[in-house]
Amino acid sequence: MISALVASDFATPHVDYHALAPEIVLGVGICLLIVLDLFLAESRKWLVSTVAGLILLGAVLPVVTLGVIGSDVRSMFDGRYVIDNFSLVLKALFLLSGYVVVLMSSRDTEERTPYQGEYYTLLLTSIMGMVMMASARDLVSVFVALEFLSIPAYMLAAWRKRDSKSNEAGMKYFLLGVFASAVMLYGMSLLYGVTGSTRLVDIGQAVTGTDHLVGVQVLGIVFVIVGFAFKVSAVPFHTWAPDVYQGAPTPITAFLSVASKAAGFVALSLLVFLAFPAAKSVYEPFLWVLAAVTITVGNLLALKQKNIVRMLAYSSVSQGGFILMPLAVAGTGDARTSLRAVVVYLIIYAATNLGAFAVVMAVSRKTHSGEIASYGGLFNYAPGLAAVMTLFLASLAGIPPFGGWYAKFGAFKAVLEARTGAAYTLAVIAAVNTVVSAAYYITLMREMWMKPAPDGDESPVRVPRNLVAALVITGVATLAFGVLPGFSGYGAITGLAGAFGR
Amino acid sequence: MSQFLREYLTVFWFAVLALLLAGLLLGISALVRPNKPTAQKLLAYESGVDPIGDGWSQSQVRYYFFALLFVIFDVEAVFIFPWATQLERYGTFGLVEMGIFVFVLLLGLVYAWRKGALRWV
Amino acid sequence: MIAVAVTSTWYLVLAAVLFGIGLAGVMIRRNPLIMFMCIELMLNAVNLSFVTLANHLGDIGGQTTVLFVMVVAAAEVVVGLGIIVAILRRRPGATADDLSELKG
Repeated sequence: MISALVASDFATPHVDYHALAPEIVLGVGICLLIVLDLFLAESRKWLVSTVAGLILLGAVLPVVTLGVIGSDVRSMFDGRYVIDNFSLVLKALFLLSGYVVVLMSSRDTEERTPYQGEYYTLLLTSIMGMVMMASARDLVSVFVALEFLSIPAYMLAAWRKRDSKSNEAGMKYFLLGVFASAVMLYGMSLLYGVTGSTRLVDIGQAVTGTDHLVGVQVLGIVFVIVGFAFKVSAVPFHTWAPDVYQGAPTPITAFLSVASKAAGFVALSLLVFLAFPAAKSVYEPFLWVLAAVTITVGNLLALKQKNIVRMLAYSSVSQGGFILMPLAVAGTGDARTSLRAVVVYLIIYAATNLGAFAVVMAVSRKTHSGEIASYGGLFNYAPGLAAVMTLFLASLAGIPPFGGWYAKFGAFKAVLEARTGAAYTLAVIAAVNTVVSAAYYITLMREMWMKPAPDGDESPVRVPRNLVAALVITGVATLAFGVLPGFSGYGAITGLAGAFGR
Repeated sequence: MSQFLREYLTVFWFAVLALLLAGLLLGISALVRPNKPTAQKLLAYESGVDPIGDGWSQSQVRYYFFALLFVIFDVEAVFIFPWATQLERYGTFGLVEMGIFVFVLLLGLVYAWRKGALRWV
Repeated sequence: MIAVAVTSTWYLVLAAVLFGIGLAGVMIRRNPLIMFMCIELMLNAVNLSFVTLANHLGDIGGQTTVLFVMVVAAAEVVVGLGIIVAILRRRPGATADDLSELKG
């Protein structure tokens, strides 16, 4: 009897430890941080941020070795967790932007909160969720990764416990985030009902948007996309973004607007390219509308903002629309070009936006204000900061030769390759919006370069070393991606990003 | 009648029987016992203390930490039960996996303990 | 009694109705705690839907998903109640509409 039980169909799954090394390093690191926080004297708590940074860099190492060793696809658990080139590129992106956020935080949190250990533990946990998302190829692992990255983010958004704005931000983010995941889960249950499997590839074969149960299929696809539209703050599901960005601590704002958003887009691309490829008649029109509305509304609202963080928030909503654009034509156009456009946009946008928020942090150390008007005279007393900020703003606006230009170029190329009326219309809408968006970026530039300082105080800004490092990393990345789009390593990255290994 | 409802018919008869029996016993005792009410006997608690305030008063926020800890550890058991029913099947691999899982949970408990969340302040 | 078999459809319809009630509740109610309870109702509707489909399809995947959803929901409860209590302690009786310091 017992022997019959033992001789069952259970086979120990094959675990590829090298492929899992980034996750393992992060997991062990998180446990280490908790222990360190518990047994470290209050005066030595600064160690925690250093260790957190080292853990992130340590997790990048195996990503690099995996990338160098070979381009073969490592698949685990029956194809439910896959390490391919796409996931490697994105893992590196998440880990490195996490590192920049740690650099940005180490000054900020020392000044403002006593909860150093928890802060970095949660930050790393959230990053681990993102790293997992890049490899998830199953509805369950996508869902678990999504919650893994979101739940710590809710706490981080409400981090300043005594600040009612931060509380409000956390609450709004939490309620809308959980609501969105409930909607998304319902969509997932419907898709599961249609296909009888939770693997994305199996769903891709069964969800065709044509034959049996077509109503359920459409409902499932729409609900799942709506769930992720909240995460990437696509209009009309963007309402939380500006409030949360303004209320949360600035490094967390940068983190949410870059890494968390990128993770949402990763999930969205996984679904579009693996789970719904045959249902393009369903998801394409929906994403088309989302993209067009997101770009336009984000821009129009950004135009009238007086607070720099809110302006950047709406600008990032609008940038999200540009990333949705290639996804909206993924079926009719060339899938590889679209995927590559999304990944390249995510990388460049991450560098640029993190940099912009780093400048905002540096400047607010002196002005203690978030108003755009407080940037007057920045060039006079901090020419370096004004110059880098101009670089980031120009990149966000898509002015050549900076990174943002190349990202937008890729997105437009993917859309135009679809060669349909709808695609051309979308391209025109996006092009008009690119011009409109330049208006508010240039307003800020004019403020920095031409206006005098509002209170006449022209003492220089003291920028801490960590922040300088963050600025250098993001600035160099932004510049390099724009000036040298053809250099060999970069070509290899974009080439890698284009292929989902199966 | 479908098979499904037929199965539930048993439950229905049980319910009827239970109600009848309880009603019968209470009825008999109501008929037989003497009835001499006094003010003391009609108090809600015969220990003699009148309840003060209503039942919807706020409870201490201290209970809250324990409730949260309970929720987390209670729900994590969801993963342990299916594993425990198939312990032999999963062999060493399963044991190591569950060891890691429990270790992480314990780490959380140690954290809560060191931060004083388990103390009744 | 009426002779009807209880099929998967019944459970799926129940799940859809529960989901709808939760959805309407989130839209209509303004107390953060009650909004959160409505979201929990939606999550439970999802669980019911998953279990029914798993049973109907004879596939274990759906039931496994439910375990994960339950655990994640518990984690969300803990985090969410923490944030909600932090707000309600500062401002007793605050509704979602009162939280409007940030707008524009």
